[in-house]
Amino acid sequence: MDASGLYQLRQQLNREQALLCFNGPISHCLIEEMGKALRHYLEVDPANRDASMDVFSVYIEMTQNIQRYASRQGYNDQDGAATVVIARNERGRYVVSAGSRIEPRDGAALLARVRRLAAMDKAQLKAAFKEQLHKPRSTEPGAGAGLGMIDMARKAGEPIAATLSPFENGGAFFSLSVVI
Amino acid sequence: MEDLNIPGGQSVPGIQADVARGILAMQGDSYPENPFELFNPVIRWVEDYIDHETRPLALELELLYLNTSSIRAMMEIFDMLEAAHRQGRTVGVNWYYDRNNERVAELAEEFKEDCTFPFAILARR
Repeated sequence: MDASGLYQLRQQLNREQALLCFNGPISHCLIEEMGKALRHYLEVDPANRDASMDVFSVYIEMTQNIQRYASRQGYNDQDGAATVVIARNERGRYVVSAGSRIEPRDGAALLARVRRLAAMDKAQLKAAFKEQLHKPRSTEPGAGAGLGMIDMARKAGEPIAATLSPFENGGAFFSLSVVI
Repeated sequence: MEDLNIPGGQSVPGIQADVARGILAMQGDSYPENPFELFNPVIRWVEDYIDHETRPLALELELLYLNTSSIRAMMEIFDMLEAAHRQGRTVGVNWYYDRNNERVAELAEEFKEDCTFPFAILARR
């Protein structure tokens, strides 16, 4: 990307009211550091402490899901890269979005799961969360708690949304967006 | 059995398990890279304490933010306390939170819904 391309990218991020964006290989250390920066940005909004906590929480679940999946798949740095944007929409609500490479079969299953959760109301989501919480923990290393997606749906102020964009060479890009 | 003393970090809560006093204390944020590595020794400690001691067990919690893997691990600990309570053991939880952080109080309330032993959620300041 040349200097003018960078300027266009910046303009687009400004239009989206991005607080923070990242594109590249992700590690636990990076998740911590970006989380620290995010908390710092959100502190300027003390009237909205609960929303700030929800933004942070959704950011952590999304990035840890991406990192765990990439490591389970044995992806290299390029395939394991995450794209993360935390922005505000036209109504001033925080929007947390993140995406990464996924195997098409997993992507289709995840998309179906997002759609099921998006159709549930708060009481149904709480029941689903509790049910998942009391299931035995998977001891498979790298397996998530299976709770993260439900938790994000509970913190969302609007139904969560996802897209799956297939690559030409197999593989796909899965992206998830949560409006707080 | 031995005490535990895990120093806290940015994504790891401080954890102290004291056999002599019968107290398990945890403070801070919890979103560790490897939740099993962190929580398995704690879960084992609670299990051993309940199996080998007859004295009460108290949890003193000042946890702030928990990711879902940590929530899952805490539920496992509360389930063990619940089983002990049903067998007549004295167990209890005190969960302290800052009034400015209502989200953690809501989380504690949800845990409490699944427990019949004494579970206090205490606001500070």
